[in-house]
Amino acid sequence: MSLLDSLAAGFALVGNFEAFFMLFCGLVIGVVAGAIPGLSATMAVALTLPFTFAMTPINAILLLLGVYKGGIFGGSIPAILIKTPGTPASSATILDGHPMAERGEAGRALGMALYASCTADAVSNLALILFAGWLASFALNFGPPEFFALILFSLTIIAGVSGESLLRGALSALAGLLLATVGLDLVYGTNRFTFGDPNMMGGLNFIAVLIGLFAIPEIIAMAWNPVAHLGRTRALGKSRCTFADYARSFKSIIRGSMIGVFLGSIPGIGAAPAAFLSYSEARRTSKNKANFGKGEIEGVAASEAGNNGVAGATLIPLLALGVPGDVITAIIIGAFMVHGLQPGPMMFILNVDIIYGLFIGLIVSSVFLLVVGSVAIRGFRFVADVPKRILMPGVLILCIYGVFAVNNNIFDVGVMFVMGWLGYIMMRNRIPAAPFLIAFILGPLLEDNFRQSMLMSGSDPSILFRGPITWFFWFLTCLTVFAITRSTLRKKVPLS
Amino acid sequence: MSEKSLHLRLGIIVSLFALFLVFYAIPSFVFAPSNVRNIILSPVFWPYVLAGLTGTIGLGLVFNALTSAPDTPFDDEESVHPEGSAPWMRLAALAVIMVLVMFGLPRLGMVWTAMLAFAACAFLFRTRHPIVAVICAVVVPLLLYAFFAHVAGVAIPQGNFVRLP
Repeated sequence: MSLLDSLAAGFALVGNFEAFFMLFCGLVIGVVAGAIPGLSATMAVALTLPFTFAMTPINAILLLLGVYKGGIFGGSIPAILIKTPGTPASSATILDGHPMAERGEAGRALGMALYASCTADAVSNLALILFAGWLASFALNFGPPEFFALILFSLTIIAGVSGESLLRGALSALAGLLLATVGLDLVYGTNRFTFGDPNMMGGLNFIAVLIGLFAIPEIIAMAWNPVAHLGRTRALGKSRCTFADYARSFKSIIRGSMIGVFLGSIPGIGAAPAAFLSYSEARRTSKNKANFGKGEIEGVAASEAGNNGVAGATLIPLLALGVPGDVITAIIIGAFMVHGLQPGPMMFILNVDIIYGLFIGLIVSSVFLLVVGSVAIRGFRFVADVPKRILMPGVLILCIYGVFAVNNNIFDVGVMFVMGWLGYIMMRNRIPAAPFLIAFILGPLLEDNFRQSMLMSGSDPSILFRGPITWFFWFLTCLTVFAITRSTLRKKVPLS
Repeated sequence: MSEKSLHLRLGIIVSLFALFLVFYAIPSFVFAPSNVRNIILSPVFWPYVLAGLTGTIGLGLVFNALTSAPDTPFDDEESVHPEGSAPWMRLAALAVIMVLVMFGLPRLGMVWTAMLAFAACAFLFRTRHPIVAVICAVVVPLLLYAFFAHVAGVAIPQGNFVRLP
């Protein structure tokens, strides 16, 4: 199929009101959810997922991608107005955004956040369109040993950079891998940790695990401290972001977008490190270096460009390799599976219309984000006024309905509650949940590729090092472990 | 709590858990056919590898705690841990609500159970809008029922008492 044929197939799939309406709805849901502190973009995507079961695959994925992109931008609104990031990715935006709000320039900061987000989003989408196909055609050469090495590398980096400690991240990933062994054995069909319960023979439901890990702990945290979310909302003020502001920050926006694209395309790094790296690079190179941290508009632009640059790029490993780049894409991979699609190189051959349909939808999403974001900035006070102590019980009910709807099974609701308490214990003990979820998804793939490799080689482990592709991933894995261990040791022994 | 004490506590728990896996859980709950000649292909191989790695991480955490210098508590400790026993009571109450939801779903049905759970949680979280909470407790589960039962075609449990159209 030629490029034009693929594009035409993509247009045929998304060229209707319903697809674009879903994308628009997704952006609205994402921006609103991201703007409510405590309702992160991750939780919004997870809670929207059950509503997509009855939709066509393309509409479902577009809705979720809209929520993702909207949620990342929406997180900047409370970061600037109430000094509470709506999503972890917006933490860097606080550094300059909130001081601007304190000076009465919240409208200007939010305007810049929106323009930087839309620009970075467009750059990120372009990178996805350019690189995903190329990477997928390269990945067609991968066999089980190559996929094993790739997944191992992804898990290593996710465990290493998701939290504050490599050991706690690795512990989280191992717990996810262990939980993924529950169910029937992939080769022999014998029971593993099923305790004789038929509900557990198919393994634990992925959506129950993810909603349990990412939504229920927030509800439990609310029970622990019901007033933790209260903050003072700043007014928008009269000043607005001008074209001169945008032009002055353009270099930082493009640099931040590139940083976001680069870090986003590496599985596991995510938006928060991209935002901080983009911010620190902007500060290092800016003429107004001294103003950073005191309300410099270029700082807002850089951090927002960094975190939004990640959004499209995290889809590169997801679509091309079938490996989720972060937690949200891990949820989106679940949506693909629910709709009978398997992301990875073969999808570029078997479902090329969906791939190109997604590309078209993503390009349009940048324009929609500009519209939705402009309205959201003005309407934030209504969102901020939603009483969180009523919102959270609503989230709980939504979780119950959503998780039940996956398999019409009350057992899954119980799994969600148990995972919720596990997630809360992990949160209290500073164990990141992202490696757990991604390891839970990739665990069966890792084991399956390992066992297939062993079957191919007659149990000779040297097959895991059989060629340049496996060497490349093993080298990256070793490099990651070395770099993270070194940085941990440096933190332990501060330089005097 | 400081990172040192957190790692020591986690390390001990994780190491004990790894021992539990190796000596009890895997032999008792992972079944391998007797005719598997190669251990690498056996269903127990992967769980044993993961248990071994878990034990290694546990020992790593203990080693890290024992060799690191005394450090300061985490920055946000005060906001995470409000004083008194009330937070623990609320956690226990939320756990009870979740258990009751599990019992209520097949008996009362999802809509009625959800209504009760919503109201109970809102009051547990000490809402300042009790009337709005009660209205939402009735409306939200009904709206979700309407969507899932009539749009998505999900067979929402109706319970033994009052059935909805």
